[in-house]
Amino acid sequence: MRKPNTPVIGLEIHVQMKTGSKLFCACSTDYIGAVPNTNVCPVCLGLPGTLPVVNRKAVEYAVRTGLALGSRIGLSTRFHRKNYFYPDLPKAYQISQYDVPLAVGGHLPIGEEQDRKWIRITRLHLEEDAGKLVHSARDGRLGNSEYSLVDYNRGGVPLMEIVSEPELATPSEARDFVSRLRQLVRFLGVSDGDMEKGSLRVDANISLTGPDGELGTKVEVKNMNSLRALERALEYEIARQQECLGRGERILQETRHWDDGKGVTCGTRGKEEAHDYRYFPDPDLPPLVLSRDFVEEQRRLLPELPWDLKERFVREHRLSIEDASVLTELPGIAKYYEKCIREGANPLRAANWIRTEVMRVLNEKRISIEAFALSPEKFCGLLARIETGAVSTTLAKELFEKMVDENLSVDEALKKAGSPSGKVTGDDLRKMVNLVLERERLTVEEIQTGKDAKGKKRSFLCGLVMRESKGQADPGEVRKILAEILDR
Amino acid sequence: MNAVEIVKAVKDARIPATEITGKAIERIRQVDSEVRALLTPLFERALEKAAEIDRKIEHNQDPGPLAGVPVVVKDNLCMRGLKTTCGSRMLENWCPPYDASVIRFLEEAGAVVLGKTNMDEFAMGSSTENSAFFPTANPWDRERVPGGSSGGSAAAVACGYAPLALGSDTGGSIRQPAAFCGVYGLKPTYGLVSRFGLVAFASSLDQVGPFSRSVEDLALALNVLSRPDPADATSSRRKRPDYTACLGKDDLKGLKVGVVTEFENYPVQPEIREALAKIEAILRGAGAEFVPVSLPATIEAGLPCYYILAPAEASSNLARYDGVRYGISAKAENLMDLYMKTRGLGFGPEVKRRILTGTYVLSSGYYDAYYLVAQKARIRISREFREAFLHADLLLMPTTPTLPFRKGEHQDDPIQMYLSDVFTLPVNLAGLPGLSLNAGYSSSGLPVGVQFVGPKWGEETLLAAAEAVERVLGKPACALGGD
Ligand SMILES: [Zn+2]
Repeated sequence: MRKPNTPVIGLEIHVQMKTGSKLFCACSTDYIGAVPNTNVCPVCLGLPGTLPVVNRKAVEYAVRTGLALGSRIGLSTRFHRKNYFYPDLPKAYQISQYDVPLAVGGHLPIGEEQDRKWIRITRLHLEEDAGKLVHSARDGRLGNSEYSLVDYNRGGVPLMEIVSEPELATPSEARDFVSRLRQLVRFLGVSDGDMEKGSLRVDANISLTGPDGELGTKVEVKNMNSLRALERALEYEIARQQECLGRGERILQETRHWDDGKGVTCGTRGKEEAHDYRYFPDPDLPPLVLSRDFVEEQRRLLPELPWDLKERFVREHRLSIEDASVLTELPGIAKYYEKCIREGANPLRAANWIRTEVMRVLNEKRISIEAFALSPEKFCGLLARIETGAVSTTLAKELFEKMVDENLSVDEALKKAGSPSGKVTGDDLRKMVNLVLERERLTVEEIQTGKDAKGKKRSFLCGLVMRESKGQADPGEVRKILAEILDR
Repeated sequence: MNAVEIVKAVKDARIPATEITGKAIERIRQVDSEVRALLTPLFERALEKAAEIDRKIEHNQDPGPLAGVPVVVKDNLCMRGLKTTCGSRMLENWCPPYDASVIRFLEEAGAVVLGKTNMDEFAMGSSTENSAFFPTANPWDRERVPGGSSGGSAAAVACGYAPLALGSDTGGSIRQPAAFCGVYGLKPTYGLVSRFGLVAFASSLDQVGPFSRSVEDLALALNVLSRPDPADATSSRRKRPDYTACLGKDDLKGLKVGVVTEFENYPVQPEIREALAKIEAILRGAGAEFVPVSLPATIEAGLPCYYILAPAEASSNLARYDGVRYGISAKAENLMDLYMKTRGLGFGPEVKRRILTGTYVLSSGYYDAYYLVAQKARIRISREFREAFLHADLLLMPTTPTLPFRKGEHQDDPIQMYLSDVFTLPVNLAGLPGLSLNAGYSSSGLPVGVQFVGPKWGEETLLAAAEAVERVLGKPACALGGD
């Protein structure tokens, strides 16, 4: 039983699938940036006489996702028509699955080991995306617009709708759920899961339990375009509903839009139109019948799931949960890391370097790891030099910059660093040490008068020399020379 | 000349395709002002296509199995860049950017399309009076209707515009006008002929099929039309036979013909009863046996079942005509106004009636009582036919309960109009093939039709039986003094 006044959150998530072609025609799924109404054909425009033919790949992708969630795959399912008039829907019905979805049940883990929670999945089904309307009104709404423009480039792009049970208790759990699902579809390679671009869209149903713990009136919140927006919208909505109830008012069953700029949810103005979608089986599409072999084939094609991979990273490479989480957030990063391990890199050092240096570069350049020029082999060459002490951390960072910019191996980068002999040693090094000590006379005095019990100042000097040598000196030799001079 | 003869003459280079086409055009010019079977003539285009065939002959290239055969096609079949109106104001000037698969099949086979034929708006009707543009006359009595909804195609073949025509049949729209106009009309098994490019009325019932004035032409046309089509998910992938190969048999020995007991007491005009008896005698003479079969649910539930399911699908199929993308678009104040005005102006009364019915039976609260019950009845009807075909190879049935009625006779009584489909629509519900053939003429000179109904994929049996009748009665005559 739930406590009174507890939030109960369920999510409906639409995931656009990267199937190459649309759900029922050969048009591309890659429509972003295309001139409006150029990524269309008679079928996805719903021209009279045209007929849909199901894209096999969309079925494969959805089945794989269902299997990864532990859902039961329906071997005989069908498509329905959801009828309603709207200019972005060229046939005036959306082909969707209704009474018999492609997958039923399953679950998605949220939270970390100690407080892991498995959120149950209600269903997963296939449907087609609609076009996009651009309203001329300043508030972007149809009602106040003098005219509206419609772009059908997106119409017919395959969607998976994934519905969770209302088992999420907080906005942060909801956020975690969406982020885990996003991670999953990225690992499966079925979607880019980009909320900002709209390839992953979340609607949330939220209610507060009543005094006896019974379920309250459900409000649907839409239009959250990022994980943060989702969390904020839910926080706002919980507070709003609590206030409402606190004033003794009733919660209205309605759909509310999240306004990210204002940080509020707004009810749809005027009367909510009760929709009767007049669902009925689409007579243009025979039942979708899948063989057991087909489903097993999809199961064989499943990669290691991200949460399993994360646990393995912790177990096998002794990474912290945080490191493992970051490295398994995106499949490309995880793959890069694993390649480094296979190249013999120190797991902790590789993890640390990828988390900090590699990801910093990716962020700065706004590229994905797939577009990152430096191969794991070259990258590991650098890590190996750090491991043996041949290259100091400071120098390594400089070399890394060069290697990334010019796609160099560590040796090539060292050559370019302007130290052809590679090493500063012997008399050259002794000269360099003296030069540094000359500049740091104060520190030298302090050491010599016994004010460096912990050896920190000595290390400081050592670091200065290393920097002076652009990392080309051996730290051991530097310490030896320093000792000779200072302890004289 | 029928299609088979034309193909021969053209392939042997005895008559150029352009000459055949020219003659057909001449014939149309001579009588179409009276019959009004064509909505859009395509004469120039046809002559160009015919010239292409002649060039192929000249260069010894295969011109295809329908080389030079003039055809007319119902105006709900899309032809690239040409008007495809569906007999509706809504699509008055709409030109699709693609060809229907069957049009492609025909033209690849060398057929020459002469024009688009008149029809009841969106194929809804049984008289071609629901055309938004003008009614078509029955060539045998111009005061009467040619049947519908493919009335233009049937009348065109009856008058000898072309030896072949295409229609579509959702509840009898090929067979009923074939009977009214005294020609052959074949509704193939659901899934045999592609629906891609056929503007949908009721997707689970619609099939495209041919009209002709000879059985061999019907078989020849079916060979071309029945190609499997990956663009239509309901197109069957089974291998198609050569439909002309079943012809030319000496007799029908061993053929079992079923007669539906429940139809015995159904009110049918006496001329049609007599025609059924005549055909029975001919088939018996050819060696066929007759057996009684029973279709109680079909008789009881067929009509209401059809008039729930077909409008339900139509209400959804026709929802796309909203004035936003193509077709007419009314001047309007806002979105709802645009929908209401466009659809108010664009659709005729019968289409509106069916959209309303269909919307109603799919609405929440009524779905279970109407749509679902009708779906169950449909399954029962299919099963009943399947069982009947355990005892019979084909069924002999009336095509219609009456002879061609007068123009305007049923215009104010939709139920009477719907009743004219009572023998044809169960065949669509069960997805079976049905062939309507001419069995002679009434004393007043009106054609009298009957139909053969076969099991799924049983087209060959229907063609063979029709040929046996043709051998006795001869090929159907040409109306209005044509040959
Ligand atoms: Zn398309």
